[in-house]
Amino acid sequence: MARKLDAKAFAQQKRKRRQWLTFIRMCRYGVNNFSRNAWLTIAATAVMTITLLIVFATLAARSTLVTTVEDIRDKVDMSIYLKTDVEDGAVETIRSDLKQLSSVTDVSYVSPEEARADFAKQNGKNADTLSALNEAVNKFPGTIRVSLVDINDTKQLDDFVKNNETLKANIDPDRKPSFAGERRTAIQNIARTVTFADRAGLIGSIVFIAISSLIVFNTIRMAIFNRKDEIEMMKLIGADKSFIRGPFIVEAIVYGFIAAIIATGLGMLGLFSARSKLLDYGIAIGPTIDYAVAYIGFILLGMILLGAIIGVVSSLLATRRYLKI
Amino acid sequence: MILLDRVTKTYGKSMKPALSRISLHVEPREFVILVGTSGAGKSTLLKLLTREEKPTSGKIVVGGIDYDHLKDKHIPLLRRKIGVVFQDFKLLPQRTVYENVAFALEIAGMTNREIKSTVPKVIELVGLTGKEKSFPHQLSGGERQRVAIARAVVRQPKILIADEPTGNLDPKHSWDIVRLLEKINHYGTTVLLTTHNVEIVNKLKRRVVTLDHGKITSDQAQGSYRQGRAA
Repeated sequence: MARKLDAKAFAQQKRKRRQWLTFIRMCRYGVNNFSRNAWLTIAATAVMTITLLIVFATLAARSTLVTTVEDIRDKVDMSIYLKTDVEDGAVETIRSDLKQLSSVTDVSYVSPEEARADFAKQNGKNADTLSALNEAVNKFPGTIRVSLVDINDTKQLDDFVKNNETLKANIDPDRKPSFAGERRTAIQNIARTVTFADRAGLIGSIVFIAISSLIVFNTIRMAIFNRKDEIEMMKLIGADKSFIRGPFIVEAIVYGFIAAIIATGLGMLGLFSARSKLLDYGIAIGPTIDYAVAYIGFILLGMILLGAIIGVVSSLLATRRYLKI
Repeated sequence: MILLDRVTKTYGKSMKPALSRISLHVEPREFVILVGTSGAGKSTLLKLLTREEKPTSGKIVVGGIDYDHLKDKHIPLLRRKIGVVFQDFKLLPQRTVYENVAFALEIAGMTNREIKSTVPKVIELVGLTGKEKSFPHQLSGGERQRVAIARAVVRQPKILIADEPTGNLDPKHSWDIVRLLEKINHYGTTVLLTTHNVEIVNKLKRRVVTLDHGKITSDQAQGSYRQGRAA
């Protein structure tokens, strides 16, 4: 019985050793193929690099777009103007009532004095405006600034303005809230454009990634088509499917690995060199760069994984055709 | 060693059969030459033996393996038991002579030590010692065919199928290859050779099976061949 078990264990050990040997050989062949097919290697690695660079650029653009869109949304003026002589108690009541609304994320208050001081500070270099300000009676209103979950959805805020008694008693009769009347249309236009940019960016990202993956797939397919006679020969001398496929998969992983390193390097370089110009145009690229620098290791790993996955899937699909018995 | 019993192969329902009720029996250690014009069915017959094609009807048994009971996943194992040499060599272009020959052993899972001891002997057998590190494009046609033969016999198969191995070679190299096949046969391997070369067939004085329009028209123990028909 013990001898039988020993024989079984020995056979199992031998099988495992063979599997390991086969794996090592497949890796060796893959790396050899990579180094010995210079032009094919350069072409496939270049296409893979471009693909990964497109993916990197698309994701960076998307991140920047999202940040910029958030910035714009935050900057959209959702203000309610109060009388100059409004009492602090009334302001507090209005603020706390507003905070109760589900569509509101934040409420802040700028008093008439603060508004005047801000104005003076902003126009500090303009002597005429300053002297006019000093001579004029203070007519700055108290301003309640409201941040909304969705700038498209102001219905709850509209109802609040119409129905809240404390607000009705203290609202500036000469100035309508910024989200009402003519200014409402402007806000709606901004909201619509921002939503469109957000959606178009997402769709664009998906389309770009899909197209570039298809290009890589076709490049690898052509590289494998170029060697279909080799596959045929391997089949005829008794190589099994996994042994034939293995080196192609290893080769594709090597393409992906090298391309990922190059693409990440180029992508980071691109981000840094575009920084100042994009900031000049008001595009919020700063957070994207900060994020990319902080998580560079994960980004590189992700790119390598993505490159390897695209390569492996392409190789599997391309070789499948030639591996039918 | 090889048994075909009333084997028919038809490629399309309306097409004429490529092989029609072929029966053939090849003994172990035999050297059989298969002759016939283009389209006679020689290649189809070899494809059936290597299981690249399935017969439409009939029975095939090679080296004791009944193809009726052969599952697809076992086809690579069958092919490892048969050595095949092709007219166009079918070598791996990016691998050296040594690597091409070793490849046949690597796919069978042999250890590096076994490979290191076996491959040089086979390379010596085919007369390519000193060319181990050459790539196929650095070799002549005859040398390439020798590499292909070395790869086919390195696993010591019981059967060697040579499909027009001299088709791309000049007369001198053709004879070198035929002598090599005879040597391999002498060591105990059954050889099935297809050729168009009248001179080779007639000088070898071996069993000649003639195929014509998918049928065996003659089977002679020491046959000869004239272009167009068997003598």
